[in-house]
Amino acid sequence: MQDSASEHTMSGETFELPPQQTRLEEFWVQLRKNRLALAGMVIFGFFLVVAVVGMLLTSGTSPFLDPSLVRLQEKLRPPLSGPNLESLLPEEVPPLGVYLLGTDELGRDVFARMLQGAWVSLTVGFVAVGIAVVIGVFLGGLSGYYGQNPIRLGQVLLLFLAIWMVVGWSRLSSLYLVILGVVVMIVLMAMLLQGRERSRGLLSLLNAQLLSVDALITGLIDIMLCFPSFFLILTVVALLPASIYNIMIIIGLTSWMGAARFVRAEFLSLREQDFVTAARALGVSDWRVIFRHMVPNAIAPVLVSATIGIAGAILTEAGLSFLGFGVPPPHATWGNILSDGKNYLFDAPWLTIIPGLAILVVVLSFNLFGEGLRDILNPKLRERH
Amino acid sequence: MIPFLGRSLVQKTITLFFVSVISFAVVHLAPGEPSQVDPLNPKFTKEVVERFRQQFHLDKPLYQQYLLFYRDLFAGKSTSWKDGRSVLGKICDRFINSLPLFIVGTLITWTLSFPVGIQAAIKRGGKYDRTTTFLAYLLISIPGFFFAYVLIIFVVSTFQVPVIGMTTFGLSGAGYLTRIMDRVWHLLLPSILGATAGIAVLSRYVRNQMLEVEGQDYVRTARAKGLPEEQVHYKHALRNALLPFVTMFGLVLPGLIGGSVIIESIFSWPGIGRMAYEAILARDYPVIITVNFISAILVLVGTFLSDLLYMVVDPRIKI
Amino acid sequence: MTTRRLLIALPIIVLLFLLQSYFWVPTYEEQTRGNPQRLVEYVAASIGDAQLLNPTLSADSASSDINGLVFEGLLDYDENLNFRPRLATSWEIYEEAYFYVNEEAAVPGVGKVDARVLVRLINQAREEHAAREDPLSRSLSNIEAVESLPPRQFQRQISEASSEGNKTEVRLRISAPARIKLTLYGVDQDLFNNLAQLLGPGYFPSFRAEQYIVVEPAELEVKKKEYAQSYLPATEHNPVIIFNLRPGVKFQDGHVFNAHDVKFTYDSIMDPANVSPRLPDYEPIKSVEVLDPLTLRIVYKRLYSPALGTWMMGILPEHLLNGKALGEEARRRGLDPEKMSIRQSSFNRNPIGCGPFAFREWKSDQYILLDRFNDYWDGPANYLKYGYRIVPDVLTQEMEFYAGTVDSYGVQPHQVQRLKDDPRYQSFSGLSFGYTYIGYNLRREPFDDVRVREALGMAVDVDKIIRYVLYGQGERITGPFPKQTDFYEHAIQPLPCDPEGALRLLAEAGWKRNKQGWLEKNGKRLEFTLITNQGNNIRKAILSIVQDSWRKIGVDVRTDLLEWAVFIQERVNKLDFDALVLGWAMGIEPDLYQIWHSSQIGPYQLNFVGFKNREADELIIKIRQEYNREQQVAYCHRLHQIIAEEQPYTFLYVGKWTALLDKRIVIMERDKDGQVHYEKIKPTKTGNYTFYFNKWIKLPEMPTFAAEG
Repeated sequence: MQDSASEHTMSGETFELPPQQTRLEEFWVQLRKNRLALAGMVIFGFFLVVAVVGMLLTSGTSPFLDPSLVRLQEKLRPPLSGPNLESLLPEEVPPLGVYLLGTDELGRDVFARMLQGAWVSLTVGFVAVGIAVVIGVFLGGLSGYYGQNPIRLGQVLLLFLAIWMVVGWSRLSSLYLVILGVVVMIVLMAMLLQGRERSRGLLSLLNAQLLSVDALITGLIDIMLCFPSFFLILTVVALLPASIYNIMIIIGLTSWMGAARFVRAEFLSLREQDFVTAARALGVSDWRVIFRHMVPNAIAPVLVSATIGIAGAILTEAGLSFLGFGVPPPHATWGNILSDGKNYLFDAPWLTIIPGLAILVVVLSFNLFGEGLRDILNPKLRERH
Repeated sequence: MIPFLGRSLVQKTITLFFVSVISFAVVHLAPGEPSQVDPLNPKFTKEVVERFRQQFHLDKPLYQQYLLFYRDLFAGKSTSWKDGRSVLGKICDRFINSLPLFIVGTLITWTLSFPVGIQAAIKRGGKYDRTTTFLAYLLISIPGFFFAYVLIIFVVSTFQVPVIGMTTFGLSGAGYLTRIMDRVWHLLLPSILGATAGIAVLSRYVRNQMLEVEGQDYVRTARAKGLPEEQVHYKHALRNALLPFVTMFGLVLPGLIGGSVIIESIFSWPGIGRMAYEAILARDYPVIITVNFISAILVLVGTFLSDLLYMVVDPRIKI
Repeated sequence: MTTRRLLIALPIIVLLFLLQSYFWVPTYEEQTRGNPQRLVEYVAASIGDAQLLNPTLSADSASSDINGLVFEGLLDYDENLNFRPRLATSWEIYEEAYFYVNEEAAVPGVGKVDARVLVRLINQAREEHAAREDPLSRSLSNIEAVESLPPRQFQRQISEASSEGNKTEVRLRISAPARIKLTLYGVDQDLFNNLAQLLGPGYFPSFRAEQYIVVEPAELEVKKKEYAQSYLPATEHNPVIIFNLRPGVKFQDGHVFNAHDVKFTYDSIMDPANVSPRLPDYEPIKSVEVLDPLTLRIVYKRLYSPALGTWMMGILPEHLLNGKALGEEARRRGLDPEKMSIRQSSFNRNPIGCGPFAFREWKSDQYILLDRFNDYWDGPANYLKYGYRIVPDVLTQEMEFYAGTVDSYGVQPHQVQRLKDDPRYQSFSGLSFGYTYIGYNLRREPFDDVRVREALGMAVDVDKIIRYVLYGQGERITGPFPKQTDFYEHAIQPLPCDPEGALRLLAEAGWKRNKQGWLEKNGKRLEFTLITNQGNNIRKAILSIVQDSWRKIGVDVRTDLLEWAVFIQERVNKLDFDALVLGWAMGIEPDLYQIWHSSQIGPYQLNFVGFKNREADELIIKIRQEYNREQQVAYCHRLHQIIAEEQPYTFLYVGKWTALLDKRIVIMERDKDGQVHYEKIKPTKTGNYTFYFNKWIKLPEMPTFAAEG
């Protein structure tokens, strides 16, 4: 990424060069060369459309296609079979007049379920990865930017005090008081963080430097990397009450380390770049420097890994579903359609094959697209192709 | 070097401490109780449940439970709540079962990835490269259990041989060699399934690494000298491209205890992953925490080893 | 280039080596045809592994499968679910009943009497009532002997935990009055009720036990009544079982079984250190005495009709598990002998019992292997080996069965149609001992109204659930007893599926449909949440069907699936639910105390729906205490009726299981001349097809049965 950053500064200096291709045009040209990535993107786009359309068609109080409508008399019908009109109530007849992808063990329309599942699976992937990216960028940025700043004893003590008080209060009084306490603590912490004036005697002990912000955050990353990730996710998901939110949050909380490392490395090198130094010299606030100048330059590789991360999250959800800890009903996901269907592998193979292939194709397209993006955004690799 | 080792050791110990706290807290703070104190089983009266709780120290405050647990663990005395067996003994048994899977899987991954990756790098942009890229991604993208069922049904219906379990049941009367080969056969499918993702990732990595090195000046120089292409690729480029892989040996270590739950369940392979999964289902806290703890140790030892190897291999790095 | 060749050759060699192993593996045909070893080995598969191979400690089904083969109880059930002798050859049940002489009460027509007079009085009455047929006469003629016991003095030490948690030692000085002992031919739970006709209705209740007790320290005087209840009960039933044991039975290690092993088994269950889940079964026992090595006398503290059935539990070998043996084991393994209990012993992974199969090997999560026990008292089994494989995935279990590496397969409901008539297999089916129900929290509105519960039950089309969810593999059930036993009252009809009728009932109860079609009463909608646990597809399906049918009549019901532990701990135990779908596994014994008695409605108890009914309570107690089976059946029928009327549950169905066996497995019997003849495997009347398992054998070819055609 170093290169794209330097491109920036260069273009500012050399006016006499002919106008460059815009980034988007350049991107498009590169993408067209990489046919696998292009195919990935097309499928990716198609999947997005399907997911959105699916969400629109299957949600609401009386959806066009009802994925949870049970028609027991129509269970395990093969794909493309027509409904048995005599045994159905008028409102139970599938609106398409045919079960496009067959029905499952409860007679629910697999097509409708797949449509709904597309949206839910996508949400799981996006939210989980979104959480991971936000945490990763925040911690990675903190560590890369403030890396050398030491943490003082006083801050640690304050933090413990805060935790202790919060725990104590939460037993005694209402939530509002707890929130108030936390706010007060944060303000105090910030003051101490700013407090650079020398103090004497015992108070100077509070200023004793323990370890740097960077060491703390890389330590945290190391700790998180020690856990076998699928096993950790499984443990937490199995022990907590099943809910789609828990699954998203847990996948997110256990997969931010890559993003954090990327961003940290980027920030470490960006910090030393001229445009950052210049911005700081102009007195631009840290906040603005980070979010206006540094994050946009560091985010590209994170986005690439996020694309692949979404694919990973969809697979993880499928794996959890197989073990019985996936997204619980009423949400249909491709993962739980697949793992429910496998019990009928000999009696109704389409219940396994359809979601299995769907996951395969979509995850593949995410991966190919992500990989293509990586190649395109990384000119160093590009020139060697 | 010695100060580096010392510093690294201290750092890793601190990390390990936090890992131990977190894995303990995650398990104990979750709602619900171990199934041994399942009160809906009419056979367990309140007194029985209470006695179990006492025996498992569940009636003590959390920090005491933490200390008691790790004291028992380090003394090798902690026992599974589910069946009262020693946790380390259980893990050791399962480890021996998982080991062949791990070895064969790693062997397939490492031997296969290199030729595939190198070839793709040499013929970059060509049909071979694109095919292997596509195949690699295909392998990463299949939901593991779906692939496993497809493979099993294919093998069972076309070749009519058993593939489930560690051995063919009821073959105890057969000859020694037959029994060994029978075990090898039963290893084949699960280890291939376990290796797919590894092959895909590693071969891609080899390819990129080769590409990186092939762009370097000394390779260009070699080529300019008029050396045959093969020699350029396999002697000059490969040698330098291999460097980072040496360090990856250390990172293979955690795989020792990270058997795949899904594959082991499907193939009814009594490995570590399945034991851990069953421990989760039964809320057998000692086993869950110990597996977590040991795999954390392996990760740390692995990174330590890979740091060391890197220093040994690359003389430019002095720490 | 060597590097290049090496790089390419290595993976090829590895893969070739792996692939060639295929040629060594027997195909399915070879496994069963060419391998005579395989024919004398029975292989079963199970989803989960066993936990502890010790019948006194285990509580899971896999363990009990194995324990049932390795261990033997004193008795078990025969084809018709009657008891049949195993380690015991015969038994005899009688009763010793006691009551204290109430010196203050006046006996009608006689006045205050002492022990001597009482004995004479009862004996007189016995003669007078000899030929009569009223309840009192029946009780009197059941008396074998009357005896008076002299007054006696004794002390009891108990430690009482106060509310602050500290313990006080309490000493009770008891000077008990004279007591009458009645020895009965058979157990008679109405004895004292009937004797009250003779001695006056107030004779037993007015017995003031407190006056015979001195409590030290005096502060605890307040608890005197409680102590009196437990140490000087006015009347006491002590049923007695005498077991005559089979001589010459051997454990699998050759040691001969005797009465001390039985007593030891009892003692080890009662030992708190072992934390046995069987404890409640044996808690009513007062004493187990070894009269001689083959005779055992067991005295119960109170009437407890399931008593005999509890002795079906496998008997442990004393010589391997007594204090001495455990101490040695502890020393060998470097453990603390003081803390060593049976629970820690390695016996639980290497069990030895008197059963037809002896334990050989257990590989966790792989298999458990058993060998035939040649000295089995009932003659050795036909199979030489028993293999118990653990195959956690049902689908792979099915494939292994098709492959012939597993001999039986429990068919899932949706497969029954396809597999039942498959010519390669023989199939058996029967009703299971468990039912599924919708339970309502009777403490909450609107479930406190029986009409609402009935209406909700009528709105659900249970036949539809059975037909479509269970694929017909289930039967409707109307009450809490196993349908294949006599206790079940078959005359009770299940609720009809009648949404219209349901609406009428709800209207009676005040619930009317509003403009949007929801049911309303006083402006409040009929809304609640129906929950069940995760991981059970059938319950999940029931949830959606029930939700669907209730919504159709205007009940706004939401559904929720919860993880098992959370479901139990947070919702069921804390009684925090509206309605739930759950199942009960039933025993053969008709004891409903824990699930239906009104004393069990607290948090963490099993009557979580909060069912309360006076008559039902009485019947539950009576059933528990009735030793006469016919009488017990009559009580059960009445109880069944009450529960069906009250509808605290909507009883849904009892499942049907279907099992497949290889057709080559048959019953092999030898007649007196050593002539072998084969028979088709037939299930017993109650559907148990493994009843004659010891006579099973697998043949190389499928036999033809001339007689059966």
